[in-house]
Amino acid sequence: MPPPGGFEPVKYKRNLPLRGPSGLVILGGVTAVCAYGFYRVGKGNLEKRELQREKVWSRIHLVPLLLAEGDRDAYRRQQAALEREREIMKDVPGWEAGKSVYNNPSHRSAETIVVI
Amino acid sequence: MSRYLDPAESSKPYKDPTPLPADIPKVKELGVSSAPLKSAAFFLGAFCKDYNEDFMLCKAENRDPAHCLKEGRRVTRCAQELITKLRENCLSEFEKHWNCLENNNQEYYHCRKDERVLNKCVFEKLGLVKTIPGTPEGKTPIHEVKNPVYTGVQK
Repeated sequence: MPPPGGFEPVKYKRNLPLRGPSGLVILGGVTAVCAYGFYRVGKGNLEKRELQREKVWSRIHLVPLLLAEGDRDAYRRQQAALEREREIMKDVPGWEAGKSVYNNPSHRSAETIVVI
Repeated sequence: MSRYLDPAESSKPYKDPTPLPADIPKVKELGVSSAPLKSAAFFLGAFCKDYNEDFMLCKAENRDPAHCLKEGRRVTRCAQELITKLRENCLSEFEKHWNCLENNNQEYYHCRKDERVLNKCVFEKLGLVKTIPGTPEGKTPIHEVKNPVYTGVQK
């Protein structure tokens, strides 16, 4: 015989606690984060190119200045070496101090340097 | 003795005390180290454009150091004038920027804050603008980008 008021309803619904966001949400989130990351990488690559351009031009602007200074020093050493050569070879008839061994008018920097 | 002797590997110092020949006019060397030069590079390019191009054209004619001494002196004098002007007008900004470069591996992008102050001062006092040739059309030049990806690790 049923109890008065009838049986209580059968508990057939699942009673599971919430286990965090669904797979779709996580997948979507990961995709979004990755997409943003790649966007930043792309922007960063473009920026890197411009930074490189800036660096190169800052050096290009300094080339004449440094070259001029180096040239003055090179010229000073060249003249000193010539003077030394003239002094050493003064007894050899027909010796031309500083004459190149090549028949080429274009400039060649010295193959050897003298460390005094 | 046909081998090239690297002065850096020599056991003796690579010095030659002989001065320049007397017929060459003397010019005081700039004597500025790398960080201030890098800080002033774009202003140097703008201020001394004519002299620099003249010198480089001369060098293209002939690579002999004796060929372009006159143009080279002009370049150095112009650079000296610019550095003097910078120091007269924007001393604190200039020093701040190049000290920042010195402390940050001489990378411009670490020092944008100091650079903007310096650029503003130089534009107001000397009228020189930093422009990077070859920047794509319609894009903000990299030194004026408000929120760049590459910044210093510590701001």
